[in-house]
Amino acid sequence: MAATTLSRRRFLIRMTNLGAGLITLMLSIPAIGFVLAPLFEKRTRTWVRVGEIDSVPVGLPTPFTVAMPIANGPPSGPVDRVVYVVKTGDHRLHVLANTCSHMQCNVHWDPSLGQFLCPCHGGLYDVTGHNVGGPPPSPLPGWVHRTVVDPASGRTVLEVQNQYDERI
Amino acid sequence: MLRFLSRPVTTRTRSAYRWFDERTGSTELLHKGLYEAVPEKGGWAYTLGSATLVLILLQLFTGIFLLLVYTPSFSDAFPGLDYLRRSDRFGSWVRGMHLWGAYVLIFVIGLHMLRTFLSASYKRPRELNWVTGALLFFLVLGLAITGAMLPMDQAGYWTLVVVTNIPHYIPFIGDGVRHLWRGGDFVGQASLTRTFAIHIWVLPFLLFAFIGAHLYLLRRHGEFGSWVNYEVTGADPDKELAERIVRAEPPYPTRRIERMWAVPRRTVDFFPDQLFKDTVISVLLIAVIFVFGYLVGAPLSEKADPATLSYVPTPEWFYLPLDQVLVLSPQTYLVFVGAFALVGAGALAFILLPFLDRSRDRAPLRRPEVLLPGLFLAAMLVLLTVLGASRLYSL
Amino acid sequence: MNAPSFLPPLASTVSPQPIPTNLFGNSSAVAVIALLHIQIATFITGSSFLLVVSESISMARNDERHERLAHTLVKGMAYVFGFGSALAILWVTWILLGMWGTFFVALGRITFWAFIFEAGLFVTEIVLLYALYANWERLRAYRRVRLGLAVLLAVALWWQQFMIDVVASYMLTPNGGDTNQLAQILNPTNLPLTVHRTVGNIAWAGAILAGMAGIRYLRARRRGAGAASETAFWDWAGVWGAVWAIGATLMQPWIGYSYAKDIQLHAYPSWYRMMFGDLSNVFLMQITLLGLIFILGTVYFWRRMRASETRGRRTQVLMLVVLVLATLLAATPARFASTYAEAAAADQLKPWWDGGLLNPIGTMIPNKIIALLAMMICGLVSVTSLLRAHSRGELHWGDATRGAQWLLVALTLTVSSMMIVMGVIREHSRQPFLVNGEMTIQGQKVVDPPPTNGVSPGSAP
Repeated sequence: MAATTLSRRRFLIRMTNLGAGLITLMLSIPAIGFVLAPLFEKRTRTWVRVGEIDSVPVGLPTPFTVAMPIANGPPSGPVDRVVYVVKTGDHRLHVLANTCSHMQCNVHWDPSLGQFLCPCHGGLYDVTGHNVGGPPPSPLPGWVHRTVVDPASGRTVLEVQNQYDERI
Repeated sequence: MLRFLSRPVTTRTRSAYRWFDERTGSTELLHKGLYEAVPEKGGWAYTLGSATLVLILLQLFTGIFLLLVYTPSFSDAFPGLDYLRRSDRFGSWVRGMHLWGAYVLIFVIGLHMLRTFLSASYKRPRELNWVTGALLFFLVLGLAITGAMLPMDQAGYWTLVVVTNIPHYIPFIGDGVRHLWRGGDFVGQASLTRTFAIHIWVLPFLLFAFIGAHLYLLRRHGEFGSWVNYEVTGADPDKELAERIVRAEPPYPTRRIERMWAVPRRTVDFFPDQLFKDTVISVLLIAVIFVFGYLVGAPLSEKADPATLSYVPTPEWFYLPLDQVLVLSPQTYLVFVGAFALVGAGALAFILLPFLDRSRDRAPLRRPEVLLPGLFLAAMLVLLTVLGASRLYSL
Repeated sequence: MNAPSFLPPLASTVSPQPIPTNLFGNSSAVAVIALLHIQIATFITGSSFLLVVSESISMARNDERHERLAHTLVKGMAYVFGFGSALAILWVTWILLGMWGTFFVALGRITFWAFIFEAGLFVTEIVLLYALYANWERLRAYRRVRLGLAVLLAVALWWQQFMIDVVASYMLTPNGGDTNQLAQILNPTNLPLTVHRTVGNIAWAGAILAGMAGIRYLRARRRGAGAASETAFWDWAGVWGAVWAIGATLMQPWIGYSYAKDIQLHAYPSWYRMMFGDLSNVFLMQITLLGLIFILGTVYFWRRMRASETRGRRTQVLMLVVLVLATLLAATPARFASTYAEAAAADQLKPWWDGGLLNPIGTMIPNKIIALLAMMICGLVSVTSLLRAHSRGELHWGDATRGAQWLLVALTLTVSSMMIVMGVIREHSRQPFLVNGEMTIQGQKVVDPPPTNGVSPGSAP
């Protein structure tokens, strides 16, 4: 005889607990996996044509509206986003998203201020997108972009990818 | 059956009811529910709790009708609601009642919290009542803000963008939380689907679970009322208290409580005294929602345009304090301090109030060390709302 | 008007006009009378609030101390009201009409409705205040009437302040003469100013009560053991006043910051002047005074708790240390804090330890915000700790030391100084305009000063 006997009662309780544990496991593995999967899903990056940027004046951020495809998740239609094209005097090109780095409200270029203004809390960014006033903690995000010269017309075409670059 | 039908109507009704009662025990249930003792004084103040319940049920009711016409689709949500606004007078009335119901609900919950805070109804043994109530408050706020995101007009879309962005300020897990809520890095169709699911299932399920707990606890310990119900006037307080405890009607005497607060001086029956007052207040509140839902209705701006350069996102009035805190928490890590640390600490202190309040008495003026910080917090919320409204709506 | 112009760094936005140097010309007389009027008016308005609170408590609890305090407040208000009214009348008739006539008439045309309320409410207050004062004992049998009169008086006083705020905010952020009442009430700097002043009134009334209680306590103490009930009462009144003074001031950091934010958005040159320009050192004084209010409050609570040997004194000492550090942090001069734009313009985008102009550790923002937050939290903990000791019954009235009472007097003087400095800042931030961007002080002079620099009087420069 074993020194400690397992009573029938305790055995039943333990088996019930085991069963409950199994049910929990079988329910939670798919559920938690389902909930957390989007974090690990590969993003689909697509290049989207913005337009010809030769006529964009220096020092004046010019908005373009682009239908940006979504990068992951169930398939659905593209979402319209704004791409601000800025040419600065030192021949540099900045391609900015109009998403405020504070609360992601829509930022717009205000000519009377000479800066980007966020209407939500008065955030201000200079012409290169650097945060210079108000609550925003970091500069305007930039779109990953490339310029392509159209062989037929010789004009510069800008393309952006549906992701921000590392400036944020 | 023929014998049944040949009897007069009144006896038929009575025996039909008796048949039903034998099988369900409904009379006994009703008696236990309706004839419970409640404190005599202050009844009008205690109506706020039942008013909250009625308003929540009203939201459930109007919400069901909206569910019959709403499509949680990025492109189809707005046209459906726009159709309601332009062509379906009763539909837009229901939608207006749903919105005004939410506004009035939040206001009434605020008053209810203030009342229970002032009367110290959260002290032993009713601490869990307060904790479940505090969680209910946050669930209602969550329901309100997720509901605001659903119409997919400009206001709804930008609310979705901004509110889903807030979690990203949490260190380490923030980006993940934002991604999970949005179903992606940017707001898209998945964000709407998730928000819709949260609004009509996840939060209501939690809400009703906690409401059940809240009401059960209330019935178990009895309505505390407020300090005015417990005065001891006789020459021999101990004798008076002992007599009260002996004469107490259920659910009194409350167990695990100081003798002084175990039984109110005088009680009345819940039905009809308290229920009458509850009904009057509920009628008034629903009337307000009824009228405002029709006359003012629920606003609907233009269809959502993620590429807009001119729309100014404006928070709902009950989010103005947080918005004003965000204006005043500029740059760097202060956004986290303002939006999470401060607000989080305040929320935690709010939920854990019964455990922080070590005062001895229950009358508000006898516990100034709790009353004044509480009033300070309430005053700050009101002032921040006023300042936020002034900033957004100034001419 | 609304578009702030983002100027070259550290430049003054409006070149100062030459101001004639006689007493009336340089507006000193105006300043003295205005500041004195404000000290009295805010005391009366704040006291009416404390009066309602004390009267309500005395009715709810049959509390004699609160009844005596309410009566003391009514008497104080009545005594001061006469002088304050005479000052206000002098202010309006001689200063505003006599010296700044064109301005006053122009402003009156735009905000006439507010002045009608001012006049009517003035009469209402006289009736209510003197009715209360003269019939205090007689109304003892009718407590609800007495409370009702006090409530009406408080409402009338607050409404009067609200009306004058409409006028004052118009002066800072005018809207081009729009006489629409709603547009004036919803002036972007109106509600923040009203909130700021309402809370400040209560703090000031509490501070005066505290200081007065301190002095009366000392006098009663000198009379010896026979005046024990007197010392007990004034000791209690001093604590009560200090709790209100500190308690109301707790909210001011957020409120003041909100107000400054609205000024930044709608009257940028004034804001720039206050924060970075020639007024920034004056504002530095202001923020130091704010810190001093909290420090004095905490020291007073500490000493008072020490006198009665209550628990929780260590909390007060800890709060005191943090408050001193917070005040030092808040008093960062503007010179140490260049904005990114200024550093970029001066081509000095390097940290200051590398010879540049940037301060990555933190500039005005967030250092000053952190300091303000710390002040608010420490003040709250300090007041709560005192109230806890009171609830435990550990504070014995009459125990207070003489030194603690002088701390209360210092608190009163600090709050008073803060209000004076605020007035100086307010007027100078707008200078030389009386109505920002529209009417200058010179542009409306009725009394001809000797012409200077070839600028002829009466012409708007």
